[in-house]
Amino acid sequence: MSFAQGLLEALTKDLPLLYGPALLAVAATLMLWPGDRFVGRGNKKAWAFVAALVLLAAGALALTAPTDEGFNRMFRVDGLTKGFQALCVMGGLITIALSQPQLNALKEQTVEYYALILFSVCGMMLLVGATDLVSMYFSLELMALCIYVLVAYLRHQERSVEAGLKYFLLGAFSSGILLYGISLLFAAAGGVTTNLAELNGRLALVSANGSLLVYAGVLMVLVGFAFKVAAVPFHMWSPDAYEGAPTPITAFMSMAPKAAALGAFLRVFGTGFQGIASDWMLPLAYIAGASMVLGNVAALRQQSLKRLLAYSSIAHVGYMLLGVMSGDAQAGAQAIWLYMLTYLLMQSGAFAILIYLQGKGEGERIDDFRGLGRRQPVLAFAMMVFLLSLAGIPPLVGFFSKFILFKLAIEQGHVALTVLALLTSAVAAYYYLNVVAVMYFKEAPETERAPMGSLATLVVTVSCALILVGTFFGFRLMDWMGRIVLG
Amino acid sequence: MSPDMMVPWFKNLPLWVTFVPLLGVLALLLVPKEKRRVFELGALGITLFDFFLSVPLWFQYDRGSAAVQWVTDLSWIPALGVRFSVGMDGISLVLFLLTTFIGVIAVWCSFTAIEERHKEYYIWLLVMQTTMLGVFICQDMFLFYLFWEIMLVPMYFLIAIWGGPQKLYAAIKLFLYTLSGSVLMLVAILAIYFLQKKVGMEPSFAISRFHEMAPYIAQQAPTYGILLALAFFVGFAIKVPMFPFHTWLPDAHVQAPTAGSVILAGILLKMGTYGFVRFLLPILPDATKALLPWFIALSLIGVVYGALVAMIQKDIKKLVAYSSVSHLGLCMLGIFALNPTGITGGIFQMINHGISTSGLFLIVGIVYERRHVRQIADFGGLSKRMPVYATVFMIMTMSSIGLPGLNGFIGEFAILQGAFQAFPWAAVVATSGIILGAAYMLWMYQRVMFGPLNEVNAKMPDLNARELAYFAPLVVAAFWIGLYPKPFMDILHKPVEKLVQQIDPKFFEAQRLDEAQKAAARTGQAGMAAPGAAAHGGH
Repeated sequence: MSFAQGLLEALTKDLPLLYGPALLAVAATLMLWPGDRFVGRGNKKAWAFVAALVLLAAGALALTAPTDEGFNRMFRVDGLTKGFQALCVMGGLITIALSQPQLNALKEQTVEYYALILFSVCGMMLLVGATDLVSMYFSLELMALCIYVLVAYLRHQERSVEAGLKYFLLGAFSSGILLYGISLLFAAAGGVTTNLAELNGRLALVSANGSLLVYAGVLMVLVGFAFKVAAVPFHMWSPDAYEGAPTPITAFMSMAPKAAALGAFLRVFGTGFQGIASDWMLPLAYIAGASMVLGNVAALRQQSLKRLLAYSSIAHVGYMLLGVMSGDAQAGAQAIWLYMLTYLLMQSGAFAILIYLQGKGEGERIDDFRGLGRRQPVLAFAMMVFLLSLAGIPPLVGFFSKFILFKLAIEQGHVALTVLALLTSAVAAYYYLNVVAVMYFKEAPETERAPMGSLATLVVTVSCALILVGTFFGFRLMDWMGRIVLG
Repeated sequence: MSPDMMVPWFKNLPLWVTFVPLLGVLALLLVPKEKRRVFELGALGITLFDFFLSVPLWFQYDRGSAAVQWVTDLSWIPALGVRFSVGMDGISLVLFLLTTFIGVIAVWCSFTAIEERHKEYYIWLLVMQTTMLGVFICQDMFLFYLFWEIMLVPMYFLIAIWGGPQKLYAAIKLFLYTLSGSVLMLVAILAIYFLQKKVGMEPSFAISRFHEMAPYIAQQAPTYGILLALAFFVGFAIKVPMFPFHTWLPDAHVQAPTAGSVILAGILLKMGTYGFVRFLLPILPDATKALLPWFIALSLIGVVYGALVAMIQKDIKKLVAYSSVSHLGLCMLGIFALNPTGITGGIFQMINHGISTSGLFLIVGIVYERRHVRQIADFGGLSKRMPVYATVFMIMTMSSIGLPGLNGFIGEFAILQGAFQAFPWAAVVATSGIILGAAYMLWMYQRVMFGPLNEVNAKMPDLNARELAYFAPLVVAAFWIGLYPKPFMDILHKPVEKLVQQIDPKFFEAQRLDEAQKAAARTGQAGMAAPGAAAHGGH
């Protein structure tokens, strides 16, 4: 009796921390059953609406959650949790908006589609708040498993299935490495705790004796995370998965899971392994540098816009890892959050336009953008804004977030790496501008103008406007950024 | 009348002048794209209005002070120490006015040259205008970097849409070259920003603060200053462009439409030289002095190499483009002389190059528009058919090669004088570049204008009223500066003096001492006093 009472008390005390993710899990389960009995399984509009509402509510609950730690110090709500949860929810909402034209091709299974998105967002929301290696691991898996399925969602298309399988196999492998690394660290720290804060203190002491165990463990965790954020040399899966997945899911993968994984990355390495920073700093610097170089160079040769964006996202992750490397974890988290926020805007806009063109039966090849500047000047202008912002050309907001990130990196003394980042971003300007050039300077036969979905139009308009004026509201962005507090 | 006595909005006049073209863009966006005439006349009206709006600045400017005037300073991003801070001193002012002036001509010369996409064209041209003006007024490094980079986008489109056959290659080359240079500059800017924190100041991006940092940078390890100076140098040298960073220039110029070339030569290249004067010299004087032999050498190579390459060009436009490399090398030489005469000469050369080279690109544009070819061999004997054209061409050529009485002479003379004081041998080499300059320009003029008239060219019409109208101001300006440069000298005097003081605080003292000694020696010899020689030595 007393045990049950204690459990109940603990639950009621800590539950407010989890209202957001819990709502997602419950609502998604109810959608699958018995929800599909009441509303037809294939009622796309209704399910999209419900999923969006649930996400909005979960986001509101997450933002209003009390700042505290709970569940045996396994989960924590602080500025970082809230900030990155907000990004994940935004990513989910945008994905739902972008899914509208695409899903028309799919006859069934729409409930599952939205439920999977909700489940994975639930995993992400748990992930960014996880302060224990165990809770972190299972939320990471919840997120990843849903995404494996979503990548392979177009089950009649070979490349979608192939992408899903590839992603799943490599993902499972990397999860194994991550788990092995966790167990090594657990053992090295005396086998008493997996809590990040406690591990930090213990590992720092062990490290003084030059323990190979700690070094191996932290490297394996690093590899596991590098895989999740698709950093070189653990990026192999990402171009294929990006290309094969349904395009809204590609957009989703480049926004929400990336934000969540980076949030966890920050928490694990910024606070958890801060004491043994000397062990992982150098490997991480190489990973970051290699991601910048390879991501940008490989993107130069791409013919498909989806693959181009995949490679460029590898490069963007390379830039963001500069923030993880920051000795000041707080400032690093703020810079990454801002970068991720602006990256989300640019990606969502670019993908909205890509999906629209796909819906018209044009592929995702860069050549399909020929003459867009003439055929649809407004759309082409928006696309240009997104691409130039991705390239970091001022005054677009992509420049501002890059500026903040690189400023931090220089402040922290990573000058050589920052110079590399800046020079590779000049390389990036080439392939982004190449798309702009194709849109404006290559002629194409007139094609019919299909109307763009109202939700996609909304996404494009809002993100384009925000990107254009963002820098002028830099003080506001700095203000928001200041609220990303690591507990 | 000092600006402090003006009514409030007059005090913000530079800001208005900067953003009027952008406001014009908003209006033009609403016009349907078929209405070609509206865009042409609208853009002309906007730039003309903007020019006349900027003229009062010339009269308002307080020539007795080296301070930044018309300061508007608003809070923007306090967390970063970024302020929306604008204002101008004399050096900025002359280039600002040059920009509003060239802007009108760039629009006017495009009426018949641009055959398609008129709406986009004039909109990009006006956006370009705002960004260029912005570079000259900003007093905050962040703002400066913003304008400096945005500028690339309209230029990219101007070349890539309305350019020649190789336009895409030229446009992307321009973009990437300049971008790579400026990202290095960004690292240097951030490094100086954090140095402020290290020495215990609240970090700020104000340009005045960056100038104040000079002594602190000097206290750091010498390599620190040298690396910063190199980063700035590469950023600006690409824009100027100095040898060996000049390879984008011939491509960009040859492919750009006439107005693009005019803006490129007239203003864009001045951004680089302006950057040297405004940032590299006052912020990093010691590192600059340490690297000076290299900088001088590159300037001289630019002068001679540019002239030699220009000489063998078959394409008129390419010839003018390479002459830019040569002329700007001369300009850099004057600036690197680090004395008032040389720097004033360098700034004069910026203005002169803006007038004469813009004029020459317009000249090329005229024949290109009529014949759609630009090879020197395609022409010959044009002076018989086109006497007015021949006259204007002659004046611009003479202005470019520095004939006394025209603007080019003033700048070149001051540069050589300044360079001779500092490095006599450099002045000698530069003189050879000037002689070569006269050679290739006159040779080109001779081949195009004299000799037998080609059948194909027999029907070429002379300048029409519109063309004459946009050449006239250039010719007037060339004569004005050539015959009576004093108003410009007056505007530049104080700011240049301040700059030299920043580079070498003891410069004027040493000069005064030197002159006093000479005067003493003279009195000793001739037994008569030279009153006042020591007092006005600094001028």
